[in-house]
Amino acid sequence: MVREVAESCVDSLLTEMVASYCNRFYANKPELAARRIEAIGYQVGHQLSERYTMERPRFSDHLEAIKFICKDFWTELFKKQIDNLKTNHRGTFVLQDNKFPWLERISIDPSTDKVNSAEDDSFTTAENKAASTISMHLYYPCGIIRGALSNLGITCAVTADISNLPACSFVVRVKA
Amino acid sequence: MIVCVAVVGHQNNPLYIQSFTEADDALKLHHIVHCSLDVVDERVNNPKKSGPLLNETFLGLLYPIENFKVYGYLTNTKVKFILVTTDLDVKDADVRNFFRRFHAAYVDAVSNPFHVPGKKITSRTFAERVSTIVKSFGLTSAV
Amino acid sequence: MPPVAPRSGDSIFANLEHMNAELFTLTYGAIVRQLITDLEEVDEVNKQLDQMGYNIGVRLIDEFLAKSNISRCVDFKETAEVIAKVGFKMFLGVTASVINWDADGTSCSIVLEDNPLVDFVELPDNCQGLHYCNILSGVVRGALEMVSMKTEVTWVRDMLRGDEVYELNVKLIKQVPEEYPYKDDE
Repeated sequence: MVREVAESCVDSLLTEMVASYCNRFYANKPELAARRIEAIGYQVGHQLSERYTMERPRFSDHLEAIKFICKDFWTELFKKQIDNLKTNHRGTFVLQDNKFPWLERISIDPSTDKVNSAEDDSFTTAENKAASTISMHLYYPCGIIRGALSNLGITCAVTADISNLPACSFVVRVKA
Repeated sequence: MIVCVAVVGHQNNPLYIQSFTEADDALKLHHIVHCSLDVVDERVNNPKKSGPLLNETFLGLLYPIENFKVYGYLTNTKVKFILVTTDLDVKDADVRNFFRRFHAAYVDAVSNPFHVPGKKITSRTFAERVSTIVKSFGLTSAV
Repeated sequence: MPPVAPRSGDSIFANLEHMNAELFTLTYGAIVRQLITDLEEVDEVNKQLDQMGYNIGVRLIDEFLAKSNISRCVDFKETAEVIAKVGFKMFLGVTASVINWDADGTSCSIVLEDNPLVDFVELPDNCQGLHYCNILSGVVRGALEMVSMKTEVTWVRDMLRGDEVYELNVKLIKQVPEEYPYKDDE
């Protein structure tokens, strides 16, 4: 039997993980916080790609592996597929999710952060804070994608583009 | 009877090897496993020979040697599983079933947050599961 | 006013959005491992996991009260039962039981036989002082504090350390009547 938990467990855990790294452990070093959050995602992606490829034939090229991420892998995580996949055929792939569920569900309501971030409110406006909270949250799924692809033999860099909210694009650059 | 199973990383680094014989032939079995890795590479790089098995994780019989038969399996993450048996009349379905269960045990072992990818698998749970799977080899196909 | 009959944990769990536990389990594991790398001291990791749990508990209590039809629990005893029977089931899909009440009803144990945080986990030898599930004790403490009950929550038994079950001791330190800056429910 497949074990299940409430979706809010994952949402709360991610919100708190990002808040802890950004506001407590590396409050003044956002780039370090980002790297740690990405590393947590990387480990999870690495493990998930092992699990989710268990009963399937091996991929014969990069495109096949990326398509797997867009379809089966994304569906396991978010109950939906990536909406649009583009490539320049030179190692860059853009995976667009028109409504990325984690962005929909993250609470960026400032009141939810008040427990641990009271002291740095003076530095940043609420708006800046919301934007940086979003980008901090995106290091986690970027890490997941990089970890999953790396375990499938594809070394790459992954970034997120949110210039078209609520759409979110993950840009995968394969290293030669 | 299964006499040896092994997990080998994508750089041919051994991650787990366990023999199941009374006899003192661990060294010999390790050598057989080692030699089988080249056969796996050859199979995978020259898929024509394996025909319909193209890209399938189950690689089938790699080679018979002396009294042993050696089977292989290659995951999507380029990890090799090797099985050495003394049974002469092995059913393909049994071997496939073995690898399927072995793969599930492997996936759970590397899902331990403290496991470091590419490092040897030291999990006791994994060792116990493997030993159960090895013992039930060939017994489950009727179920 | 008597509380509305709480819905059972099973029926609430069935109505909540849920998902395969693997992502939750693996994410938590990766966080614990990263914390060990970053904070180095196991005691500090325990402390931070508890703090993370506390913050989650503080937020989760709203969803819990809203979805479970529980307006307010009368006393500590009832509250502990509700957390064990409804709360754990609702969020983690596992049932906990409450045992070992002391004479004056201010201390008890919440017992779990199973817990999705620990699937696949085997503690390495250098982490023996780690309370791997410490986030749970924080969640319980944080949630109780939002309903005006200050508690101390400590691990008594831990299956990752070879015990038969997970056992959390919950001790009521003080009950602060109506010091709930939170919001008016009704």
